[in-house]
Amino acid sequence: MVSSTIDHMIAVTVFLAATLLFIGLFNQTIQTAVIYQRHRSTSTKASDLLDSMLLSPGIPVNWGQTDIDPTSFGLQDPEFTQYKISPYSLMRLRSSVGEPVYYNATEQYYSNVTIGERNFMLVPYNLALEYSAVTRLLGINNSYGFQITLTPIVTVSIQETSESPLTLKVTAAGIGFPLSYATISYCFLKVGVKGQSPNYDISFNTVSADETGSVNINIDGVAAGDAYCLIVYARKGGLVGVGYYERVDPSERYVIPFIDSFEDGRVLLAHSYDVHLGGPPESAVFFNATFVLLTEDFTLREMPITQEKTQIVYGHGSDKTYENITIPTHNPGILVVTYISNNQDGVVLMPWGLSSLAFPVTFGGDASKQEWVATDIRQVTVGGIAYQAQIALWSLEGYQVIG
Amino acid sequence: MMRTIEILIVIIIITGAFITASFFAVLPWPRQVSPMNLRRLAFTTLQMLDSNYDLSNAAFETDDYALWGGLQVALAASLPPNVIYNLTVYEVTGETPQLYTIIDSMSNAESLGATSDASSYMVASSNVTFNVVPEKIGEHGGGGTLYILNCSDAPGWWITGYTAQSLAQDLNNLLSPYFSRTIVVQSTTQLATILDGNALQGENPQSAVVINTCGEAVPIPAGYYSSNGVGYDSSHNSYARYSYVLGQRVLEYNWTWVSIVGYPLYYVSNTGSFPTSQNTWGIYGMRDVGAAGLNAFLRGLDNQSYSYDTTWLTGSPGVVYLSNQAVDSSNYYGVYPSPYQTSTRALPTSIRNNYNLDVTTYVFNPVGNYIPAAVYRHKVTTGDTTQYEGGLYAIGLTRTTDIRLTTLGLLADYKPRLYHAEYTAKGTSRVVILQLGLIGGS
Repeated sequence: MVSSTIDHMIAVTVFLAATLLFIGLFNQTIQTAVIYQRHRSTSTKASDLLDSMLLSPGIPVNWGQTDIDPTSFGLQDPEFTQYKISPYSLMRLRSSVGEPVYYNATEQYYSNVTIGERNFMLVPYNLALEYSAVTRLLGINNSYGFQITLTPIVTVSIQETSESPLTLKVTAAGIGFPLSYATISYCFLKVGVKGQSPNYDISFNTVSADETGSVNINIDGVAAGDAYCLIVYARKGGLVGVGYYERVDPSERYVIPFIDSFEDGRVLLAHSYDVHLGGPPESAVFFNATFVLLTEDFTLREMPITQEKTQIVYGHGSDKTYENITIPTHNPGILVVTYISNNQDGVVLMPWGLSSLAFPVTFGGDASKQEWVATDIRQVTVGGIAYQAQIALWSLEGYQVIG
Repeated sequence: MMRTIEILIVIIIITGAFITASFFAVLPWPRQVSPMNLRRLAFTTLQMLDSNYDLSNAAFETDDYALWGGLQVALAASLPPNVIYNLTVYEVTGETPQLYTIIDSMSNAESLGATSDASSYMVASSNVTFNVVPEKIGEHGGGGTLYILNCSDAPGWWITGYTAQSLAQDLNNLLSPYFSRTIVVQSTTQLATILDGNALQGENPQSAVVINTCGEAVPIPAGYYSSNGVGYDSSHNSYARYSYVLGQRVLEYNWTWVSIVGYPLYYVSNTGSFPTSQNTWGIYGMRDVGAAGLNAFLRGLDNQSYSYDTTWLTGSPGVVYLSNQAVDSSNYYGVYPSPYQTSTRALPTSIRNNYNLDVTTYVFNPVGNYIPAAVYRHKVTTGDTTQYEGGLYAIGLTRTTDIRLTTLGLLADYKPRLYHAEYTAKGTSRVVILQLGLIGGS
């Protein structure tokens, strides 16, 4: 009787232990399957959301070229179909990478995309859409977070191989392959001085790259200390990319362009000391602005800009420390501002339409801090320039990760 | 002891069940959980390569090393390094049993691995022009006549920068391919003829579309239609009664009256009848009717009795945007006006109830209680049957007029089909298929 009871107790104990063990094992399998389904759902959502953003222009359709906020979010160029993205809508996204810039004169923060030392795209916060607003417009607030990145497919690098005579080596390459025998169209702008103001000479040309995607461009009449900039468009078989290079004096006095109105094409030109440095009065900066646009046959064309004043004063009691210029078109192009201050000259570039200088853009939350992120990519064109759009999407509802 | 052995047997059975279940419940590879969408990547790559027709040119010139090689360079340069590809061009033969024949292909790998997907893209030869034949409005039913008022003896208003004649010519070019008959009404005398229900060139006036190219002014024939009690209201010294008659005619003949800009029927114009009258803005040959014109027209259209009503109807919603239907039609018919315009003479929504009107096409999205531009159809109910008789297409935008909107609204409402030339005609189309695969770890 006793042995039977003991046998019974041992059996029950072993059975219960085994049951608990197997419940845990099956539960683990089921949980993994549930997580798989959730990940799969997030992955599908990422693909759908990317298409939703890239294949809709938003409402109003031209919101990127206005100063109003959209009531529906989309990045497609309203003048086209398919995966053609508006270069202006992209400019109106608040960059999640660049350190914002505060400008005292306008009392505003600016979304900052700065490439190199003298290539700026500064958009005031009141015109730049913030991430939370976009998630609300997309209907994913509190359920998903995302980050969208658009990077140019073609990289055009420019290297100065000889100062005098000036020789520049231009190399065009895609993501995984050089752009062999690419057609290279370029605009060379050399800064000169006319009286107290800067002057410039501008020239255009087209050459061909070799099988490695490289070409040497020789420019006559440029001395060792001359400031200049070279803007290059490379194209091959439907791929188009942009590159640029400047030689400037290492002066800390230069011009910084701030976008003030997309609708009116108004840009504020500020003294660099007024933005970054401060301190006692500094020499004024004299400037001369022009606009270069890419035509449909992929050549560059100059469009002069009317400018009433060509001097920016800093710290001399002036109540307005910047000057206004107006870009007279909504065609993408490049604002080129030559400047001189105390015999030190240089060039500042600003894209009008993100693609003109192939600026990358990163918008949204921080994907690196997320537990599980679904990604997807599309090939798109922005203002005719080839870009790759990548989305990273994560769920905000949390996952119970095990193991 | 026996029970313990039984339990051990049970545990062995459950273990077997677990192992068996785990064997079948194979969890997918991580890349299968969140796969790169190769199909969309392939499709967008093809679209990008063809954005300047480089892909189309290369697909038709596969023997041209520079073009074909350039395409290969661009393809390799645009894809991520872990993506391998195979691009194949097929000729569309249009013949059975083999609809497609392979022309050429390029690839950077012998096989595309375990995971691959493909997209196809149709390209057309640059040497081929595809014909598009529109369906004629009225060829499968009543109507089909388009009257364009080009009355040489009637000046216009709010068509600044154009003349009624130039607008009539442009409208003729844009719309005549879609109508069975297009008649340009050259004078107010001819206008009187069609108002009497008579044909000008043997056409069928019933169910016609009448476009008034004079803007806010409407041509008025001399004689009967300007006479007291017909077109002239002597008690109010107004030609609003003519608009009432117009409304009656629109109802009687089931016309669609088109007002291309501004406040409809705001003036009447005839240089012979009003040589010394001007529209208060210095344009002679015109008489100001004001808001009474549209009110009288709507009463005539709804078969209500005439009354002189000067109530202002329109509102000014400002910037307005094309409706989805208009945008779709814009793409379908290839008519591209600016997607946003300024409206200062938008009709109120209340006219739908007051005058038994249905909106069959919104050209611009309504704003509040105002409709910037829309096609209205007048409902007539007989017993249990309701049908449309008469219509108004009012574009309440500010000057200057854009006749592409007139064209777009009419096409969006009548929806004539476009018959495209055969895309599979031999030698005119090729299909490019891009297959992508992934290499590397899972």
